[in-house]
Amino acid sequence: MIEVESLRKIFRGGRGLDGFSLHLESNELVGLVGPNGAGKTTLIKILSTLLPPGSGVARVAGRDVRSDPRGVRASVGYLPDVAGVYQDMRIREFLEFFADAFRLKEPNRSASIERALTRSGLADRPEDFVEHLSLGWKQRLLLAKTLLHDPQVLLLDEPATGLDPLARITLREQLKQLNNEGVAILISSHILSDLEDICTRIVFIAEGKNIAEAPTGAAEGSSTPTIRCETEWEGSASAMDPLLKGMPDIRILEKRDRLLIIELPGGSREASAFLEKLLAAGVVITHFDARGLNLEDRYRRAFGGQTR
Amino acid sequence: MSRLITNPMILKELRQRLRESRAWLLPTLYLLVLAGTVSFAYYAATDPDMGGSRGELQGAEIGEVIFLTVVFTQLVVLLLMAPVFSAGSLTIEKEQRTFAGLLTSLLTAPQIWWGKFVAALLYLLLLLFSALPLLTLALAFGGVEPRELLEAVASTVLVLASISTVGLWCSSMFRRSVHSTAAAYGFVLVLSILTAVVYAFLDAHWESNNIAMRGEGPPAHIQAPLFLNPFYPLLALFGSGGFGQSSYPASSWLLFTALGCLAAAFAMRRIQRSGDQL
Repeated sequence: MIEVESLRKIFRGGRGLDGFSLHLESNELVGLVGPNGAGKTTLIKILSTLLPPGSGVARVAGRDVRSDPRGVRASVGYLPDVAGVYQDMRIREFLEFFADAFRLKEPNRSASIERALTRSGLADRPEDFVEHLSLGWKQRLLLAKTLLHDPQVLLLDEPATGLDPLARITLREQLKQLNNEGVAILISSHILSDLEDICTRIVFIAEGKNIAEAPTGAAEGSSTPTIRCETEWEGSASAMDPLLKGMPDIRILEKRDRLLIIELPGGSREASAFLEKLLAAGVVITHFDARGLNLEDRYRRAFGGQTR
Repeated sequence: MSRLITNPMILKELRQRLRESRAWLLPTLYLLVLAGTVSFAYYAATDPDMGGSRGELQGAEIGEVIFLTVVFTQLVVLLLMAPVFSAGSLTIEKEQRTFAGLLTSLLTAPQIWWGKFVAALLYLLLLLFSALPLLTLALAFGGVEPRELLEAVASTVLVLASISTVGLWCSSMFRRSVHSTAAAYGFVLVLSILTAVVYAFLDAHWESNNIAMRGEGPPAHIQAPLFLNPFYPLLALFGSGGFGQSSYPASSWLLFTALGCLAAAFAMRRIQRSGDQL
C-alpha cells in the first residue's frame, strides 16, 4: 500500500530524508518513531503530496506521488500534527465542505457525512459551531473528516498531541477498528505506549535513515529477540557469579546487592531455562520477572541519549 | 469550467466572511463615509462661503461634482480595503493550520485561488454596488450620462479585481497575514504614488521642451507610467487629469488585466508549492 525506496529530501537547513525505505501492506498499522528532526514529518508530507520528493521512489496505493499526486490524494487521508478547523463553521457545514472538496456525489456524499458524524460521536449536534468543541472532540471531527472519502491509507502525524487520556484511548480504539476494516495506517508519534498498544510494526528513523524495525511485542529489529529478566534472591550476594560466568550470551544491565537485571537472547522459553538453572544451582529466588523489551527500552537502545 | 462555478471554496468563503461582524459594520461605515463626502461636496459646490460658485449654479454642474466625488472617494476607500480582503485570505488558512487540509483534498490550486478571489471581489462589489444610489443622485441632477456611470463602475471593478489578485499573490507568498497585507499595501502605494511621481517628472521635462504643445496634453510614452496607476483610468475617462485630448484608458485597462493575470498565475503556482510553508 505504501512503497518508499531510497527516498531523499534535503532542505537548506540539512534535515530531511536520506535514503529512507519503507513498505507497508494494507493490513498493517505501522508506527514511525524517532527523535525530533529525524524526518518523520517530512516522510508523511511527501506521502501526502504536500512536499515533492528529492529523489527515490514514493508510491501510495500504487500511485506515484510525483506523477499522480491527485490519485494519491484520492486514496490518502492525512492528519497533520497540528491540524486546524474552521471555527466559524457548523459541524455539518465543515464536513459538507470537505465532502465537496473530495468531490463526493450524492447519495454517497450524504451517507459519508452521516457516517462521519456517527464516527466522531457528533451525530446529535451537527448544527453546533466547531469552535464550541473541546480539543478531543475537534480531533475526532478531524479524523472523521479525514475518513470522509474512504481512503485506503491513513497518514497520521502526532495525532494524539494535546489529547487527554480518555481521548487518547478513544483514538487508539478508532485506529484499531479502522485497521481491522483494511485501512493501512502509518502513524508518527512520541507516545510510545500508544504505539506499542496499536501498531503491528515499529520503524525507527533518525537523520532521515532507517535505524531499525521491529514487530511490536518482539525484540528490536534483529532475528534473535531478547528478553529482560529481573531476579532477586536470598543468601550471598555473589551466589550468582559462577552461574553468570558460564553464560557468555547474557548482557548484564544492572547488578547490585541481591538484585540482577540481565538481557537474554531468546524469549520466554530461554527465560524459563535460565530460572531452572538458578533453581538447580540452589539459589533461593525471591523474585523473578521476565519480560520482552518494551518499546521504550528499544527506543533507548536505538537512540541512546540522543535528543534534539 | 463548471468546477469553477460550483467551487465549494466560494460557498465556504462567503459563509465565513458574512458571519464576521465586519460583514455589516464595513458597509455601514463605507456608506457613512461616502454620504458624508457627498454632502460636503454638495455644500462646497453650492455654498459661496465654502468656496462654491457665487453665480447661478446649474444642476448639471452639481451632478458632475457629486458623480466625480463619489467615484473617486469610493475608489480610494475600496483601494484601502482590497488588500485587507485578499492579502489575508490564504495566510489565514496557514495561520489557522487549515491549509494542509485544502492542499491534500482534491481541490486544485486554481480552484483554491478562484474561491478566494471571487469571495474577496464579491465583498468589494457589495460595497461598490451599495453606493449606486448615491451615484444615481448625479443622474438625477444631470450632467452625467448613464454610459459614464457604467464606465466608471466597470473601470473601478477592473482595478479592484487586479489589486485583489496582487493581494492574493502576496497572501500566497507569506505565512503571516500582517506581512502579506503590508506587502499588498506597499504594492498599492507604489502603483498610486510612485507612478504619479515618475509621471510628474517626465511631464515636467516634456513640457519644458514642448511649450507649444502644452494644450494637447502629454503623449502616450510620457503618460505610460500612469497606466498602472489605479486612478488613471477614471482621470482619463473623465478628463480631469490634465491630459488634454490624449488620454489612454484602454491601455490602462489592458495593463491592469495583464497585471491581474500575471499575479493570478504566480499565486496559483505558489499555492501548488505551499507544502514547505506548513
